[in-house]
Amino acid sequence: MSINWIGLATIIRREITRLLRVPIQAFLAPWISALLFIFIFGYVVGPRISSIGGHRYLEFVLPGVLMLNIINAAFLQATSQVYFGRFMRYVEEALVSPLSYVEMIVGTLATVVFRTVITAVGILVIAACFGVTSLRSLDEFLFWVVIVSAIFGLLGIVIGLWAKSFEQLTVLNVFLITPLSFVGGVFNTVNMLPSWLRWLAYGNPFFYFINGLRNAMIGFNEASEFLGAGLSLGLTALLGVFVWRLYAKGYGLRE
Amino acid sequence: MIPALNIHNLRKVYRRGTVAVDDLSLSVEPGDFFGFLGPNGAGKSTTIHCVTGIATPTSGKIEVFGVDAVEQYREARALIGLSPQEFNVDVFATPVQIVDWMGGYFGIAKAERKRRIEDLLERFDLVEHRKKTFRELSGGLKRRVILARALIHKPRLLILDEPTAGVDVELRIDLWRYLGELNRDGTTILLTTHYLEEVERLCRNIAIVAKGKIVRRGPKAEFLEGDGLEAAYLGATGAKPAHIAAGAS
Repeated sequence: MSINWIGLATIIRREITRLLRVPIQAFLAPWISALLFIFIFGYVVGPRISSIGGHRYLEFVLPGVLMLNIINAAFLQATSQVYFGRFMRYVEEALVSPLSYVEMIVGTLATVVFRTVITAVGILVIAACFGVTSLRSLDEFLFWVVIVSAIFGLLGIVIGLWAKSFEQLTVLNVFLITPLSFVGGVFNTVNMLPSWLRWLAYGNPFFYFINGLRNAMIGFNEASEFLGAGLSLGLTALLGVFVWRLYAKGYGLRE
Repeated sequence: MIPALNIHNLRKVYRRGTVAVDDLSLSVEPGDFFGFLGPNGAGKSTTIHCVTGIATPTSGKIEVFGVDAVEQYREARALIGLSPQEFNVDVFATPVQIVDWMGGYFGIAKAERKRRIEDLLERFDLVEHRKKTFRELSGGLKRRVILARALIHKPRLLILDEPTAGVDVELRIDLWRYLGELNRDGTTILLTTHYLEEVERLCRNIAIVAKGKIVRRGPKAEFLEGDGLEAAYLGATGAKPAHIAAGAS
């Protein structure tokens, strides 16, 4: 059976409709949070910190703040999309239809990317209002936004399938995503860390995501670009196969 | 002739070990109006869930018009329309959205979808409720939305899991008339219900399931012989008809 393009478009259309029912939670909250970060680091803390690699501190920190919000938006979108479908049982509408598992997964990820791109554009507009407009490479920027959205969208799907209560939806975010993103170089360079702690950055995949986006935006790079891109593509492929297996087995979906 | 639905030795064991369906075999001929009866917890809904993809069979084989419902699940799903017992919808969506999304999932192009939605809204008296959210609708209206959703892709096999539970007499009679028309036009219908009157009026063949197994099957006429359908049903499921129980005491 060929690709069900109309079905795929319907998944995306449907989830965007659902997303637009909660614009404050989906878009306004991360924009306000980013505005506060930009204000504090641009006007309160930033002027007291010397430039990093020839960049103002706000320019340095903005890609990290942006990445934090992309990761959160991707994860929340995927978990809520999958979990609410299970909780309200309307996931059964997809299960009884001639949609393939790949179409269901791609449809979910497309909505994730929609949300992260809107979130990112809003934050860039806010940053532009504060005089930060650096974007060295649009292609690389889009690569990092999409690949990180896919990784955390896939992780969100796994948690959305696994969770048996609303509380469980937050487990990964609280215990893994938030701590690793904060120690992944959002606010500091690797060189600012004590030498005995630098392994923590280089062994942390979040560091490569933030570094990749920062390199795309202001050309500040602390690690191999190929290593970062390869790691991200590898993670996406691995998680993609894992999620496909979960769908094929009906884990969390079918009785 | 290839059966509309062919179930071979279906077994479904839930994770906690409950055997919901045990070696169940069943065949429904194309064009039939088939009554699938049994007490609560007998395995009717589980069987339907296995046929439609909501549940994974533990073992056995299911074919829909000759198409394997597990191996070729997409082709098989395209042939089935399901009106489930419980409301499995986004309760914040409107009837139009619910039916439209389902039509989209089945790959129906926008213009055709729009035309069919209007037909179904009119058919089920939902036009004036089209902008309300599902949760704002009464029980009967909700049931109509679910039926419209099941019919958007004009399925060859329509599975109705207690479609008239909680609906008023008017809708029930109207629905019976409509289902009769659909069946005359060639749609095979599998109906589960606890209203034996509904079965007497609509079905041509009947199977009774109890404790996960088919305990009796045959043409409706066979069930109506003697003390009637109720007695045949109660006898098959192991319960005693009231007048027999009264006579025994």
